[in-house]
Amino acid sequence: MRQRLGIRGDETMTDKKQGNAFTNNPIVRAIGVQKIVVVIVLIAMILFFSAMSPAFRQYSTLLSIMDYTYYLAFLGIGVTFCLITGGVDLSIGTGMFCYALIGGYLINYVHTPVIVGILATVACGLIAGTINGLIVSKGGHAPFLATLCMMMILRGLGALVTGGASITWPGATAPNGWTRTLFKMDMGGTKVPLGFLWVLILAVVMSIFLNRSRPGRYIIAIGSNKEATRLSGVNVAVYQTLAYIISGLFTGLAALAYSSAFQSMTPGGGGGIELNAIGGAIIGGTSMSGGAGTIAGTILGVFIMSVLQTGLPLIGIQANFQQIIIGIVLIVAVYIDVLKNKKLA
Amino acid sequence: MKKKVLAALLSAAMVATLLSGCGSKAEEPAAPAETEAPAETEAPAEAEEPAEAPAADAGSMSFEIVSKGLQHQYWQAVLQGVNNKAQELGVTVNFVGPDSESNIDQQVQQLQSALNANPTAIGLAALDTNSVMDLLQQAKDGGIPVVGFDSGVPNAPEGSVLANCATDNYAAGEMAAEKVYEAVKDRIDGTVRIGVVAQDATSESVVNRGLGFIDKFAELAVADGHTATVIGNDRYISDSKCEKTEGANVVLDVRVPAQVTSELSAADATALMNESDTIAIYGSNEHSANAIITANENLSKCGTGEGQIVAAGFDSGAAQKQAVKDGVLLGSITQAPVKMGEILVETLYAAATGGTVSDTDTGCQWYTAENIDDPDIAPNLYD
Repeated sequence: MRQRLGIRGDETMTDKKQGNAFTNNPIVRAIGVQKIVVVIVLIAMILFFSAMSPAFRQYSTLLSIMDYTYYLAFLGIGVTFCLITGGVDLSIGTGMFCYALIGGYLINYVHTPVIVGILATVACGLIAGTINGLIVSKGGHAPFLATLCMMMILRGLGALVTGGASITWPGATAPNGWTRTLFKMDMGGTKVPLGFLWVLILAVVMSIFLNRSRPGRYIIAIGSNKEATRLSGVNVAVYQTLAYIISGLFTGLAALAYSSAFQSMTPGGGGGIELNAIGGAIIGGTSMSGGAGTIAGTILGVFIMSVLQTGLPLIGIQANFQQIIIGIVLIVAVYIDVLKNKKLA
Repeated sequence: MKKKVLAALLSAAMVATLLSGCGSKAEEPAAPAETEAPAETEAPAEAEEPAEAPAADAGSMSFEIVSKGLQHQYWQAVLQGVNNKAQELGVTVNFVGPDSESNIDQQVQQLQSALNANPTAIGLAALDTNSVMDLLQQAKDGGIPVVGFDSGVPNAPEGSVLANCATDNYAAGEMAAEKVYEAVKDRIDGTVRIGVVAQDATSESVVNRGLGFIDKFAELAVADGHTATVIGNDRYISDSKCEKTEGANVVLDVRVPAQVTSELSAADATALMNESDTIAIYGSNEHSANAIITANENLSKCGTGEGQIVAAGFDSGAAQKQAVKDGVLLGSITQAPVKMGEILVETLYAAATGGTVSDTDTGCQWYTAENIDDPDIAPNLYD
């Protein structure tokens, strides 16, 4: 399974290296060195938090970790496609809030059925993603700048639609709160993190799409060498745009996951969350310079972020220190990526 | 070519969404505008009110009230109170507000129109004090008394605003502390922790609701022979009046997120509720109360039973009202917007008749599963 979940990126990374006994082991090479390291780090973190805080060892902590994982995983899967093309999508954090605000506004104030709110949330993501893609591919804007501008637009739009008020999605016990059971189901008093199933299914589907389908391979090819890809007759603009559309779509799904887990959102919020998702992707082995990356790696990386977000407050680390620690973790992750690229060169 | 068409279509779709977003906003004030109508037509209806016999000229009095907006149910409740009292006193009131709390220009225009109408007195909840400075001067020169309400007119120049009718947030926080203390006082045995989830350490209303709670809780605990201390956020520690005692057995633990987002506040609430010595938790506004409710969905620890955590909130909103009804929250504090409207009109009336006016606390209420539907509480709660 791991093999199918996308090794390609890591293979190109490891193939050219003069490895040692560990890295030359066929199983290690198949899974990817970085992913094995991430799993080891993840286990170490869980052991550390468990030792430091008895509360961390409870079942409810697993539920909390899952609440953070859902939306970060969706954001991470989407942005991985942008990163692989050599671009980035910085609008996803603010976008997630904006789409959830619009969807929630429709449900709360326009009194549309919940399903309309859900569809609108996802549709907003698709539209913004498409515009991002067109600005980058057709307009030739630098991805970080184009999506940074989109972030500003979405921040304003979310506040405009709701009139500056925060929005609360229907609660779990409210008559139309059924959306929340899609992610967390109550089975005879025990809460089951059902959302993880959707994350897994979508991760497998997008992994196959990335590695086995023609568009997916073109997306990887664009990130490896855009000019060569263009010369070989691939319509680069189309597949570059596609990457941003996927990012937008998954941001819409993340908006649903977020409103399901945390219920309310404030206009103008969400900025900074994109870094947690991008960080997850980079920790999982997606290269900032494009051409390499796997969905499985991103999911593993996202777990690092969600375990940190759940564990740090539990061991009594104050909010501002949490931000600093997460920032440092991301710098280290990017540095490892830089080192890898140097070795390749 | 096809692709260009596609691109054009998609851009059009996005623009359409933008416009429809704006559109729905623009249409919105239409509804509140209707509710405005009765206020204007409420001419001297019951001038023969016995209790507070209006002055002979009450019928000729007209008050202009400029609020921060009308779309929120909170303001609708203020309007209800204003209408009640205007009817009782037999005065005419015109209640207006901008389309959203960011429309400062619109509010300035509305205040200008209010001045042009040459009313007996003006009520104002300013969005931005600086932008109304000239108009306040104009009112003063024209001899029109101005009374602030809700957040009032912060930092208004001396003498331009006669009084403010607003919720005393510190006192409201104290009320929450009294209720929570009453519920947990018999369980203070050994070291116990009282969690406070605060949205921020910058907004005066949020900080005062937190400090009022902390100070009062500590005061009550100390009066019962316990010792208290405050830990967590530095602003709350330094501004609290609580005498911090080393090794105290009542620990007030204040958590403030690095950014106002639900996932961060939910993490704070989760961490507080996971501490084995936590017996109570308080969220000082809707955002923080929602964070407690979210955390409790995973933990199922809130309640008043043995070993459960007593939780209290502030403000209302659909989720919070439901949580109070379900018993997740012991109760919650609500401001009293209806009463605020009534007191505002009373104060305007007093100012217009040359009486002395002073700052008034418009009060707050503690609501629980039992009294949530009471006629004097329900109008103050909104979704």
